[in-house]
Amino acid sequence: MTDSRKRSLALFYCRNVPESGEDVRQAIEKAYGEQIHLFPLPCSGRLEPVHLLRALEEVADAAYVITCPEGACRYFEGNRRARKRVERTREILSAIGLEPERAGIVIGSKDAPRTLSQLTQEIYDMVCRMAASPALKRGRG
Amino acid sequence: MITAEQKPIEEIRRMLAPYKRILALGCGSCVAECAAGGEKETAQLASALRMAARMNDEDLLIHEKTVDRQCVKEFIIRLDDVIGDYDAVLSLGCGAGVQAVSEMYAEVPIIPALNTEFLGETRDQGYWVENCLGCGDCMLYDFGGVCPLARCSKHLLNGPCGGSVNGRCEVDPDIPCAWQLIIDRMERFGALERLETIYPPKNWARKQGSGPRKIIREDQQP
Repeated sequence: MTDSRKRSLALFYCRNVPESGEDVRQAIEKAYGEQIHLFPLPCSGRLEPVHLLRALEEVADAAYVITCPEGACRYFEGNRRARKRVERTREILSAIGLEPERAGIVIGSKDAPRTLSQLTQEIYDMVCRMAASPALKRGRG
Repeated sequence: MITAEQKPIEEIRRMLAPYKRILALGCGSCVAECAAGGEKETAQLASALRMAARMNDEDLLIHEKTVDRQCVKEFIIRLDDVIGDYDAVLSLGCGAGVQAVSEMYAEVPIIPALNTEFLGETRDQGYWVENCLGCGDCMLYDFGGVCPLARCSKHLLNGPCGGSVNGRCEVDPDIPCAWQLIIDRMERFGALERLETIYPPKNWARKQGSGPRKIIREDQQP
């Protein structure tokens, strides 16, 4: 656990996630420093595997996306698409021998909505239990 | 359009093994439409390959570039300034694109990243179907715009076979019976009698009887 704070997370999120405004994003990035990279999306359906892969290649030990709850997408099917694209990304990671869990999706809950800050903390705690990524560009902390 | 699918990464890595500096070359036409070799897919594959190399302590440099059409010399020629920087090109073009680039740069190995599949149509998002064999002697008029050679599982010119059930093919119920489609369309046009013609076996000489085909149009030449 001693070096687990050094894990880095790229977090893509739908702007529908509760309390995910620009001020919150800035506050989270300030609190976590280089360990967290936040990428707001107009809709999680905008996410492509290449976004997650690039993040894993360049800046992060893990790359996740947070979507709005199933059935709540303002563009109807954005979160369903995000799920499929994360699955596709995981297949690619498996094909190159990297743990597929380094890419993931967290679907917001209608019944118990959580804020961006809460979800970030939960996901980051999970990522900190992973080993450092062997695929991440050398020379990074 | 020409459809294709990406080869398994393991196979691509095996082909790339002798080389250190690679240009991943996408194509912005057919293979972009079928989400196999466009700019996005090229970036995706290059990223995966760089990560795989890093994980295996391999010294590998991969850059990406996408041209509008890999099968047209006027677009390929834009690689002139950069091609010398690489040991090999990983082409995400169709088979025609791979060979066009190979011909242009005879001294550089051009490695195919895709398996070229068929001439087809985008039926829906993420769903492509074969509907043309490129036979060189189109008979779509005779069959109401539905090609029995490409779309009937048995390639019957004198169908139907009698095995379809509820308009679905007996070979695979996911396949609509081409002959059912033909009959429905001909009936709609009041042209069912056209189907009374008995067609002789297809003359395949126009497709593959005389070696690689070519089209020469003098009015299009300089």
